[in-house]
Amino acid sequence: MVEGTKKRNRVFDYFQSEDQFAGGVAWCAGCSMELLARLVPKIMGKDIVIVGCPCCSAPVLFGQNLGAWHKMASLGCVMTGVPSSATGMVRYYRKTGQDVTVVCFTGDGGAADVGFQPLSGAAERNENVIYICYDNEGYMNTGVQRSSATPLGASTTTTPVGKVGRGKPTHSKYMPLVMLMHEPAYVATATLSHLEDLAKKLKKAMEKVKEGFVYIHVFAPCPVGWRIESNRVIEVCRNAVRTNYFPLWESEGNRPKLTVEVASPKPVSEMTKLIRKFSHMKEDELAALQKAVDERYALIKRLSDGNK
Amino acid sequence: MVSAQKGQVRVITGNSAAAHAVRLCRPDVVASYPITPMSELVEQLSQFHADGLLDAEMVEVEGENSAMNAVVGASIAGGRAFTATSAAGLAFMFDAFLVAAGYRAPVVMANANREMTSIFSVSCGQQDIWTVRESGWIQIAVEGCQEIHDAIIMAFRLGEDYDIQLPVMVCYDGFYLSYSAEAVEIPPIEEVDKFLAPLKQQPERPRIIPGQALGCASHGILEGFMELRYKHSKAMTRVPKKLDEIDDAFGKQFGRCYGGQIEEYRTEDADIVLVTSGSVTGTARTVVDAKREEGIKVGLVKMRMFRPFPRERLAQVLKGRKAIGVIDRAVCFGWDCGPMYLELRALTPDIGNIPMLDYIDGLANLDITIPHIERVVNETSAAAQGKPYQEVTWIPLEED
Repeated sequence: MVEGTKKRNRVFDYFQSEDQFAGGVAWCAGCSMELLARLVPKIMGKDIVIVGCPCCSAPVLFGQNLGAWHKMASLGCVMTGVPSSATGMVRYYRKTGQDVTVVCFTGDGGAADVGFQPLSGAAERNENVIYICYDNEGYMNTGVQRSSATPLGASTTTTPVGKVGRGKPTHSKYMPLVMLMHEPAYVATATLSHLEDLAKKLKKAMEKVKEGFVYIHVFAPCPVGWRIESNRVIEVCRNAVRTNYFPLWESEGNRPKLTVEVASPKPVSEMTKLIRKFSHMKEDELAALQKAVDERYALIKRLSDGNK
Repeated sequence: MVSAQKGQVRVITGNSAAAHAVRLCRPDVVASYPITPMSELVEQLSQFHADGLLDAEMVEVEGENSAMNAVVGASIAGGRAFTATSAAGLAFMFDAFLVAAGYRAPVVMANANREMTSIFSVSCGQQDIWTVRESGWIQIAVEGCQEIHDAIIMAFRLGEDYDIQLPVMVCYDGFYLSYSAEAVEIPPIEEVDKFLAPLKQQPERPRIIPGQALGCASHGILEGFMELRYKHSKAMTRVPKKLDEIDDAFGKQFGRCYGGQIEEYRTEDADIVLVTSGSVTGTARTVVDAKREEGIKVGLVKMRMFRPFPRERLAQVLKGRKAIGVIDRAVCFGWDCGPMYLELRALTPDIGNIPMLDYIDGLANLDITIPHIERVVNETSAAAQGKPYQEVTWIPLEED
């Protein structure tokens, strides 16, 4: 496309801060989480305090053998310490009358697995904390092991494909709904192909966190761990939405609503064909994944339709 | 001599004494998860808060791990924070417990000493606090309810001191002290304000400032890591003197002091010295008095600080004695002795090879009785006279 004829993405309208990260950072080529990490302070402001833990984002957020690669105030915690440390911080800021937004930023392992208990606790207590989970469907930082967010059939280093093994035998834990049932101030799903949708949700998070806990679950494919061509990661995001594999919705006051409705969804194979962690799957295995996707989507659709 | 206005004397449990001390220190954030035998402390703090007597943020966490992480977060943000736990709770918060020390977060934690799981035992012991002794925390062990109260106030002044900046654990024997009621003098809050006021004269300690590019992180920078460990270890070396000074200042203001790192009892002319820690010390004093009546020159040293180890003060008091009897309420597996004994053995270059006898007793709420301690004195006394002795004795299981 010729320069100047392409419509500028609306996400730019939401920027209130310049990029807080160094130009080149130690994230992998094509990483969708990097895009998310850069957007977070651009949209939420540079004065947020970032809290995280060992995960893909950590080497850049907190430094590994080097300092951090950004200009924000940050606290690195142990895997189980993110929402609870953030709690301690916001409580202190509240006690001393400081208006500070604390944003937790972790992968799905930190949110759904080892770090789930403190996340659940902080959400139940309705702490004034924003928690952003970038979901790359496994432990990518430690070498592509399965997490509870790894989907049915996906091959990882701990659910490998072999003579007997056929990838992960169970479907993913669906964290957005799990978190919704904590009845926090705001829950949303987002991904990196629908940037304005993401920006709106991050902006809303900044308002809603004044009322209580905010959970944002971002589908963030990993080119290395999922074995995707590094220039097709955003296409995977888009296809995840178009196949209803990853529906985009938000919920305020326990009223989940789809923010993007797909008129004629494509089969899930339109997404899986771009991802080699699914490449071993036969027709019946893909059909099982399709069924899991359809059932989950149907539940969300019913919830959403009820709030129309 | 005593400058403070008189406080109110109440008969309260150790847990309650701890809660009063915390209230008086005006913490910004309190996060604690109930566990036997400490739960009453959390309950009481919650009641103080509900009654408007404690203006702190109370975080009703869903587990000890979150309790420790929350107080670390509050501390790193710049606040004063308190938590409390015991045994299995201490184990469950262990990674965060290490972070508190590594981040030099000067939080204060009360620990009701309890036997460590497993074997399951909801009972007193000191296995929990000794198990975590290489974590970089300051550990102070106390004898009675008033001392719990006073040690917590001193712990805030010690940990938050600009030269120290380390977390402090105040350890009191579960059950024996947590649930026993004693007369405790609770000073007016203004007096505690005055006692903690010197902290405000010091430079502000580092903290995370929103909008400023300063991180506090767990992802080691290679040679920087070793430098941080070095500084941490050196900060520990400044603790013994500082604790003695703070104890002294507390004594001048409130009329009670505890000897700082160690408390000596009738050691001046003692041939043999008992070494104890925690609640058993009271019983040991009684035995020392009785044995003195019999003409045995016995004295007592109460270990008040486990970490850093009070090497110099101990060496001063133990050097030249004829024998030392140690009473341990925990086990060093692999050494078949108690931890206090093992560490006192490391003083050999300082004090010479004095006969040292270790007695393991009182695990899981077994009472360390007067006859038990009499036996320690008798056998240590015999060793002092050159008689052969058994190095380590499990008192209730090995007859004399």
